[in-house]
Amino acid sequence: MPEWKSLLRASFAAGGHDPGDDIIEELNAHAEIAYESARADGCDAAEAGRRVDALIHTWTRDAESLRRRPKRAPAVVAPSAERVRLAGIIQDVRYAIRLLRRGPGFAALAILTMALGIGATTTLWSVVNGVLLKPLPWPEADRLVRVTETRDGRAGRVRGTVMNGTFVAWADHPGTIDALAGWTRQTRTMTVRGRGEPSRVPAVPLTPSAFAMLGARPLVGRLFAADEGARGAPGVALLSYGLWREQFGGRPEVVGEAVQLDDQPYTIVGVMPRAFEFPDREARLWTAWTVPGVVGEQGAQVGVIFSAMARLRTGATLAQAAAEATARARAAPDSALVAMALFGAKGPIDVQMTPAREALTADVRPAILVLLAAVALLLVTATANVASLQLARATTRRRELAVRASLGAGQSRLIRQLLVENAIVGLSGGAAGFGFAVALLHILPSVLPVDFPRMDAVTIDMDVAAFALALSLVTSVACGMIPAWHMRRLNLVETLAEDGVAPVGGTLRLSIARTRACIMAGQLAVACMLLIGAALLTRSFVALMRADRGYDPVNVLTARLPLPAGYAAERRLQLLDRLIERLHVVPGVTHAAYSTALPFVSAGGFAAFTMRSPRNPGVEMDVQATQRIVSPDYFAAMRLRLVAGRTLSVTDTAVTPPAIVVNQSFARKYLGDHPIGFHIPQRRGRAGIRFRDDRTDWEVVGVVDDMRQDNVDAALQPELFASFTQIAPVGIRNFDPILVIRTAADPASYVPTLRTLVREEAPAMALDSVMTMEDRVMTSLARPRLYAAVLVGFAVFALLIAGVGLFGVLSYSVALRTREIGVRTALGAQARDIVWLVLGQAAVIAVIGIAVGLWTSFAGSRYLSAFLYGVDPHDAVSFGAVSALLLVVTIAACLVPARRAARVDPLQALRGRW
Amino acid sequence: MATTSLERELKRGSTEVLILALLDERQRHGYDISRLIDKRSGGTITFHTASLYPTLYRLEDKGLIEGRWVERAGQRRRRYYRLTPAGRKMLFEQRTIWETFFLALDRVARISHA
Repeated sequence: MPEWKSLLRASFAAGGHDPGDDIIEELNAHAEIAYESARADGCDAAEAGRRVDALIHTWTRDAESLRRRPKRAPAVVAPSAERVRLAGIIQDVRYAIRLLRRGPGFAALAILTMALGIGATTTLWSVVNGVLLKPLPWPEADRLVRVTETRDGRAGRVRGTVMNGTFVAWADHPGTIDALAGWTRQTRTMTVRGRGEPSRVPAVPLTPSAFAMLGARPLVGRLFAADEGARGAPGVALLSYGLWREQFGGRPEVVGEAVQLDDQPYTIVGVMPRAFEFPDREARLWTAWTVPGVVGEQGAQVGVIFSAMARLRTGATLAQAAAEATARARAAPDSALVAMALFGAKGPIDVQMTPAREALTADVRPAILVLLAAVALLLVTATANVASLQLARATTRRRELAVRASLGAGQSRLIRQLLVENAIVGLSGGAAGFGFAVALLHILPSVLPVDFPRMDAVTIDMDVAAFALALSLVTSVACGMIPAWHMRRLNLVETLAEDGVAPVGGTLRLSIARTRACIMAGQLAVACMLLIGAALLTRSFVALMRADRGYDPVNVLTARLPLPAGYAAERRLQLLDRLIERLHVVPGVTHAAYSTALPFVSAGGFAAFTMRSPRNPGVEMDVQATQRIVSPDYFAAMRLRLVAGRTLSVTDTAVTPPAIVVNQSFARKYLGDHPIGFHIPQRRGRAGIRFRDDRTDWEVVGVVDDMRQDNVDAALQPELFASFTQIAPVGIRNFDPILVIRTAADPASYVPTLRTLVREEAPAMALDSVMTMEDRVMTSLARPRLYAAVLVGFAVFALLIAGVGLFGVLSYSVALRTREIGVRTALGAQARDIVWLVLGQAAVIAVIGIAVGLWTSFAGSRYLSAFLYGVDPHDAVSFGAVSALLLVVTIAACLVPARRAARVDPLQALRGRW
Repeated sequence: MATTSLERELKRGSTEVLILALLDERQRHGYDISRLIDKRSGGTITFHTASLYPTLYRLEDKGLIEGRWVERAGQRRRRYYRLTPAGRKMLFEQRTIWETFFLALDRVARISHA
């Protein structure tokens, strides 16, 4: 067989072509068969060869068309089965992002709504986590308990305290606890040698056992030794990290240095680390302290009230420890009279144990939980809003989804697409919300009241971040499931064939509209609930502000003037009298006084004694009262209301008989119907009040209306007032006077004058806690104000969402019913009728939503009663006002859709081109 | 044979259909196809061998046939062609069209096919 390959190649090459080896080989094979065939037909070799040559000739003549395009890779590679799912999800993600970009308005609205909802919830969760859930920062903190006592079921004047008798009785070889520690709080004037100005420092006298109990180690120096702090022993102090840096330059050599606290010398023995905060972040200094025994010098009863903490022994329970402490306390010696003054009863003693964390946060727990519930409602309404928006979009996308379904996308595939879209919105909203929460947490410490516990533990950490992430995913799924559920019932043929504006046959759109209406009613219900809560809290706050406290806080300037411990009583009084005299001549000052007591600042002191009951002369009663020692102008400066008799005045001097003024509670409780002129006999065994003249009976010269010491809703206490001029010096040896100045105009403008006067009269001393009385009142209301403000914020947000949502739902519905409206108009309906149509629909949604909201609020508002003052949880005004507001908002949301509906041109609508 | 443009078009179209039809029976190589066309048409359609391979390559490009090299014992390897599913579909459609055409021709001009 001759060879044709080279001939083929040469022939093609001669024409300038190269068809390639493949084609050459194919043609070669063809040539071979042709040759064999020719030979089989009877041709000879030459003839056969000639035939083949002719063949080749024709091929080379048409060489151009002898081209086979290289086998291309298929346009679409079928992916391997394992990679399908992942590729599918990535595809969904890309598609979703594209869709969102095409509708930036929707995307922005949805993401913003989710961000606000998730941000608020995350912030509140971090507060819950930090304050209520995180363990205290001390080792084995779950075994730390606060110790408190009650007598005859009554708690002490200062909450959360024990008396020294109870403490001392238990501290001696306890069985159920490892350690017992006590502390109080003071503010002391610190003078550092070489550093000019004395400063006021919050100090905490503390038993040395506390540090072992907290597992604390000093940063520099050492802790207190067990025997330090005893009465008469040299004073030792520990600095806080902050104080050490600020006032002592952060030098390690500070250990061993001397410092004066209220003119008493102390030696600094160490510095505590930055993280150490006890009992809270305010403490700057700790001094060694020992709990005094019940019997003091010369057999006098010593009663001290203070805070205490213990560490349970492993295996001991709270109940066991409480039982042991109670038994010990009841059996031990006690300073009964002081207890009487402080508790209102002598016994029997009951000791309670509360886990430390609970004790710390018990105050704020109810409020935090209420706010958590409110923010959850907010999140629900935000999520519902986004779901409703997605439903509206689902309408416009139903065709696209139907096409995809008919091309073979399964149910799960479509649902997955919708979920991915919602996940992207949810996660974006979550990320934005997380950022929003971080920002909010930065400003939180300045917004919250200073005494809000455990602010240090409120941080953004992994827990909070995980929570935000989980929340985003959950809300995404919730948002996505609703449209997905509607897609489930998609009728492909109908949808694809559907006329865009057919009033019937749009079953999908109808069911969507119905779902959206339900969601809308829900949102209105949530807005209703939050608004009612906000209204109740706001009314309560206003009531608290306006409550009658027994005095007039407007235009009153107050300040403390701490005096050195060395000053004798006479010297103090002279100084204060001079100051008051000078204040009196300042233009605009109407009254000036000083006292041991002031609402929110100090109760003064407690007195306890026995006397015969005026109603039953044969009976001896135990009397206990708050005692306030005042200068004569005090009553006028505070504008206390005189009910009977007279107030103390300059006529009450050291040589006149002891005169006291009592308040209504005292008079009602102890003095019967004719309090004025009643004489309280001098007795031995008095706790508290000591007159110079200890022989003459006290005369009650006046009755004033009750004054509120702290909270407006606290129980009223019996009080008695006495004049400085008549009190024995020993009783006023150590008091820190409080100045009360009533002015004609803005009291804050008198602060510079006051400081100047003080500087002139008492150059070495500094004023402390200079505030107007109104400011003190407002500070005391910081928490109610905060709760009201937060809830109002939530309510406004929910209302906004509801209003916008309602607008959207009604517009959607009007668009849906365009043809129907056109038909109606063509049949003679007036614009008014069409408007009623729209309003009617809105009314149904609104009425249902508001009704559900009102009913739920009615049932749930009793949980708010702990926070309400002067307002009933079912306050008709609040409920009524909120309902009215929601109706107004509903009508407002109707206006535009109703107008649009009224303007429908029937011709255009019927033609379907509206 | 006179080649008007109409005839050329008819020829091209029919060539492709012929090849598809031949491959419908079984897979064949190039020589086989050309021989069969010649034989079965009784010489009426003188198939220009020059246009065979370009047509085959065109059909392959369109995805209507696919070719592969086959090596048998004692032979050089040859390229065999066979129909793809698309090709089968196209053949069916083309057959339908031609039948319809002939039916119409018959009705109009009383031209029957064999």
